[in-house]
Amino acid sequence: MSTAQRRLFLLAGVTALVLALAGFLATGVGKDHSIVASPLVGKQAPDFHLQGLDGSAASAVGLSDLRGQVVVLNFWASWCTECRIEQAVLDQTWQRFRDSGVVVLGVNFQDAPGDALDYVAAAGSTYPVVADTDSTTALAYGLRGVPETFVIDQAGQIVERVIGPVNAERLSSRISTLLAGGSR
Amino acid sequence: MSATRRRPSGSAAMVTVAVLAAVGALLFIGLRGDPPPQTRGQLAHQIASGLRCPVCQDLSAADSPAPIARQMRVQIDEKLAKGETAAEIRDGFIAAYGNSVLMTPPRHGLASVAYGFPLGALGLAGLVAALLLRRSLRRPMSDETELIRTEGR
Repeated sequence: MSTAQRRLFLLAGVTALVLALAGFLATGVGKDHSIVASPLVGKQAPDFHLQGLDGSAASAVGLSDLRGQVVVLNFWASWCTECRIEQAVLDQTWQRFRDSGVVVLGVNFQDAPGDALDYVAAAGSTYPVVADTDSTTALAYGLRGVPETFVIDQAGQIVERVIGPVNAERLSSRISTLLAGGSR
Repeated sequence: MSATRRRPSGSAAMVTVAVLAAVGALLFIGLRGDPPPQTRGQLAHQIASGLRCPVCQDLSAADSPAPIARQMRVQIDEKLAKGETAAEIRDGFIAAYGNSVLMTPPRHGLASVAYGFPLGALGLAGLVAALLLRRSLRRPMSDETELIRTEGR
């Protein structure tokens, strides 16, 4: 084999290797969505029992107590700018569906109790809010930041996870589907 | 004029040996791993070091000052006290966060490529180096062409 032929074979080999690697990266790794999607979607929502912002037993809420209702579980904090954007949407959703078997539940995350109470008072939100003081519930839900919202169906299964502010139309559509007996 | 017998590929042989030594050293370091923890605290720290703080950028649960990372460390310690194994504790976090909670990719599935590719590349480099070394040692001790060229000057 001549030197020119050897070089040609080497070049072809290297090119084939690079193309194979690029193809693998494009098709294989690119399809692995587990990095961004929650592995909890489609699974039973982790149960919790959290006290309200005032710390009283009367304001405590347990997820298992809400079985049979659609739950919109919203993790938020008073220091979170994006949480303010979705505040009105969540309140409107609560007002619209509260008599139809839907609970909007705010879960305060990594916040000073006083700040959280001031925020709720200033925003005028009417749905129940509990405090995840030690972040145990946040860890159980695989929280990466706030706001994050989980939609839980009547059977206690997580059907959707929203990272960032919720979209009013999409949330209403999802809730209506669940109330009509659908899951997706 | 008689030809001086010298090894024209001596430097290549030295480079090859150096590459082989480097490949061996890297493989040794890469495959050696950490020493096993002696106490529960050390084991908890080792587990936390392998888990990513979910609200931080490239910080492990062991290193992050974030409250959620602190809670991860508390949970790890509590679970160890209850008798859970390191694998069970890691699996618990993976169940909520997926494999991205791990500081290093898992050694199975697609992510195993992250381990296999560098090792494969190192092995290939070692093979090439070995072939080059073998070739250079088999070469004749004199290079007639070089001598003719030198005499012609």
